[in-house]
This record gives sequence, structure tokens and C-alpha cells, in this order.
Amino acid sequence: MALVDARGLSCPQPVLLALGEMKKLGKGSLEILVDTDTSVENVTRAAESQGWNVKEVQPEGVGYRLIVEKT
Amino acid sequence: MFGWLKRGTSRREEPPAAGAAAAERGILVFENTSEVIRAEQRLRDSGRQVRVMGPPPEIRTGCDLVIEFPLIEELAVRRLIEEAGLRPLRVVPVSGPLLQPVDLFQVKDFGEFLMVRAANMKLTFEKQTRCIVNVSGGGCPDVPYLARELIGKTLEEAPEPRRIGHTLCGYALQLAFEECRRRCSL
Repeated sequence: MALVDARGLSCPQPVLLALGEMKKLGKGSLEILVDTDTSVENVTRAAESQGWNVKEVQPEGVGYRLIVEKT
Repeated sequence: MFGWLKRGTSRREEPPAAGAAAAERGILVFENTSEVIRAEQRLRDSGRQVRVMGPPPEIRTGCDLVIEFPLIEELAVRRLIEEAGLRPLRVVPVSGPLLQPVDLFQVKDFGEFLMVRAANMKLTFEKQTRCIVNVSGGGCPDVPYLARELIGKTLEEAPEPRRIGHTLCGYALQLAFEECRRRCSL
């Protein structure tokens, strides 16, 4: 699965990295690592606006691991 | 003896003689941001060309926003805002470098994307499509709602934040939104 590690990056960079990868993939699954609640919300909104579904949000170390999918 | 009169009217700062000719703009200083918002709306509704800016270094009173206006229209501007029940703390001619209001916007170029920050709110859009990809900042309760309404829409399609927001964050987002549109029209 493709991975975007956006930990340590400030807004809006996690969103921009995630969107870039989604655009590159077109569809499928993408794992995104972020380290703030705000990034989780921002990435979720951005993903959904592009037709991707957030399948999973799990705590991962000091941050979160999101899995987004598009079929 | 005329202290009551002085208290009842906002201060009009006299520019230094040397700077008088150069002072074509003035700034209105208010006690709080909600007064700035109401005054700006009143002035814009009347067709005045005004801009909300950050206060210049020399102004240490009032809130974090000031309104810049054409000084030649001072009397009309004063009348309009007084009709709206507002009274600026100060009316200051921009007569020197330390009285220049500060740009409220910070712009960051991310290549395909451009971010405009106005006060506490950030709006990011894709340059090619003008699609809004991120709205963040603030901390006001309506920010998640504003973000959902704007993200995924182009700057042309998206509703104006001032029409759907009810907080200072919504107002700041409106400023960022207008600046994004302005930059796209250049």
C-alpha cells in the first residue's frame, strides 16, 4: 500500500502531500501518517472531497494512521 | 471645559506638516474587531473602497484590525459609520512609514497550490483548477462547517464565508477568500 508520512509537517502540507499521492494513484488504498488531530480532520475532509473514503483512523505512536480508499 | 465634547468625538490625528501632502489614505482604529466588521460592511455597502489591514507599528490602541480608506472621503466615511452607531477610537492619516497599516495576508506558494492566510485563518487552493483543498485555523465552532462547505469547490463556486459563517473566524476566512480571488484575477 502506498504511504504518505506527513508527521512533523504543518498545515496544509499533510493535505497537499496526501492529495498529491491520491492524484498519482487514481484509486486504491493509501496509508497516511499524521501527528495532530487537526491534520486528521483536514486530510479526512480533503480525501472525501476527492471521492476517497476514510476506512480507518488508528492511533499510531504519538500521531495517527489513516487508511483511505477509492474503488 | 469642553472635555465632554472631546470625549464624545473620536480623535482626529493631525499629520505632520511635511507629511500632509502625502497622506492620501487614512485609517480608522476601533476598540474591537466586531466594530471593524460592522464598519467595513457599512462602508462597503455604500460603495466605499476600503480595506481591512493590520494596525501600523505606531498605533498601540484598539484591536488587531484597522480600516484603510481614502482620506478625501473622511467626512462621508465618518458620517456613514456614525449612522451605524459606531465611533472609531482614532482616525489617523497615513502620513509616515510608521503609520503604514500592515498587510493582513501571508501568502505561501506550494507549487501547484497557493495558501493565503488572513489573521488566524488559512485557505489553500489548487492554482490550475482554483479548487479549494484546505481550510484551517481559527478554533471557532463554525470552522468545521465552513471547511466542509468550501473544500472541493472552486473559488467561483464556493459560498462566501461571510454569508454562511457567524464568527470572527468566518470573517477572517472571508478576507482570505477574497484575497485568493483577487490573486486569481491578476
